[in-house]
Amino acid sequence: MSVIVTENLTRYYKDLCAVDHVDLEVGREIFGLLGPNGAGKSTIVKMLTTLLRPSDGRACVCGHDVVKDAVRVRESISYVPQEMALDIKLTGRENVVLFARLYGVPNARDRTDEALGLLGLADRADELVRGYSGGMRRRLELAQALVHEPRVLFLDEPTLGLDVAAREKIWEHVHALKEKGMTIFMTTHYMDEADRYCDRVAIIDRGKISAIGTPQGLKGEIGRSVVTASVSGEPGAFSLEGVRLLKVDDHELVFMAGDGADALAAISQELKRQGLEIHSLSVRETSLDDVFLQKVGTPEDRSAFDGSKYRLMLRRR
Amino acid sequence: MKSVYEYFLRDLKKWLRGRVFVLTALIMPAAWLVFVGMALPTRFTDNYVGFITPGILVMTMLFSSFQGGSLMIFDKVLGFMNKFLALPSPRESILFGKIAFITFRGLLQATVILALAVLLGVRLPGIAELVFIYLTLGVFGVLGAATATTIALKVDDHDGYAAVNSMISMPLFFASSALMPYRDMPEWLRVLASMNPVSFATDTVRSMFSGTIEIGGIAVLAVLGLIVLGVSTYMFRQATV
Repeated sequence: MSVIVTENLTRYYKDLCAVDHVDLEVGREIFGLLGPNGAGKSTIVKMLTTLLRPSDGRACVCGHDVVKDAVRVRESISYVPQEMALDIKLTGRENVVLFARLYGVPNARDRTDEALGLLGLADRADELVRGYSGGMRRRLELAQALVHEPRVLFLDEPTLGLDVAAREKIWEHVHALKEKGMTIFMTTHYMDEADRYCDRVAIIDRGKISAIGTPQGLKGEIGRSVVTASVSGEPGAFSLEGVRLLKVDDHELVFMAGDGADALAAISQELKRQGLEIHSLSVRETSLDDVFLQKVGTPEDRSAFDGSKYRLMLRRR
Repeated sequence: MKSVYEYFLRDLKKWLRGRVFVLTALIMPAAWLVFVGMALPTRFTDNYVGFITPGILVMTMLFSSFQGGSLMIFDKVLGFMNKFLALPSPRESILFGKIAFITFRGLLQATVILALAVLLGVRLPGIAELVFIYLTLGVFGVLGAATATTIALKVDDHDGYAAVNSMISMPLFFASSALMPYRDMPEWLRVLASMNPVSFATDTVRSMFSGTIEIGGIAVLAVLGLIVLGVSTYMFRQATV
């Protein structure tokens, strides 16, 4: 059964279309929404968490409409926004108890202890949050979100600004939650993390979904390997089977290929045939970054930067 | 109801742990009482500090209430509202919690000002009158806190709110009966002052100080308060970020 469904979900900010007729279906999984800044990721999350009303289309979370049944939706979800919002003059425990009581969970104290323990904060629970590190603060926010055992957890850029170890830890927790049957809907622009931890991802650009699928599947679509050759001389045209020239950068040629090992030999042969001197030749597996660049394009490709619209987006995000 | 208390407790704890600011908010009304109340040469009374004490008590509530709007601005700017609005507890309890805290804080501050006034020689009325003074200040505080919090819900940032705050609270105070009796006002000011909720509160408190319990003013303030509360509740239920 689908936990989150959107149909033609659309949101305008004045005449700027931040989210453009988005159709999504998310089941019990870790679902990642990827995209450049201002692509509409947070706007989608805010509509799904009942904080923004859609301009058009509809969305259901756990079978409840986000506009008509907003309270039922809020009962089934937890939401951790991008900005870390914790009361630094309160202790970790006080921060979590507040949410436990606001969610109306019975035994707020016990549930708080449990949540704090789960996220490894029990021994520092009675310190003021002022002294917490970034990673601890993020985990405290997860503890706040988990005191009421939501069916869906919305995370907006959960690992933004955290160091590697802290990010790893957040992901371990997220993974454990999914194992327990929770649906996690998150946004991120760390492609490597999405690749490793998300069951499915959608790439969104200028309000539209430009690709959706498992990280493996998406990478497979564009070719499994990337071959980079550094040469001197003027390269001519390439027509090799199963190999696609992606871009020419100064003296660097980038190819996309299905099978790296085969392609490497073929490419090296072709380069020599064209009389080019090869300085280096390397092959690596395709990453979500490559998918992203293929689907969304490099920032230079995008239409001229519209300062006023950008500021509007930032303000409304 | 429970969530109102939780929101109230959150703001109260944060305020009490702010230490210095618990006291600084009192400097302004205390300065009015001492520097204006004790020093202004007035013709209509020889006990000016006694005359303006009711006005300064109401001013304490007024400024405290409008200052309280910045709590909502903080919660919005720092992202707390995003979290609170996505919770299943009734959204208006955020509003009621703020009103409860702001009014409670205002009444504490008014108490300190009242104690200061007594030190300066102002005579306290009887217990019944005192209870009604607090009731008036409380109702006026709820009116102010609801107005301020709702304005803050619609204003984007601190600068904007500071502008709105100074635009509203100072003129409201000056265009009231807090500083001078109606009969000494120029005609145009008398008209303005007689329509000003700050005057309703001041006049009511003043009548308590002179020993007559007059509840007409409280009733008007209560009706105004209920209207604003109704509008604010609706706006909080509909709130988006």
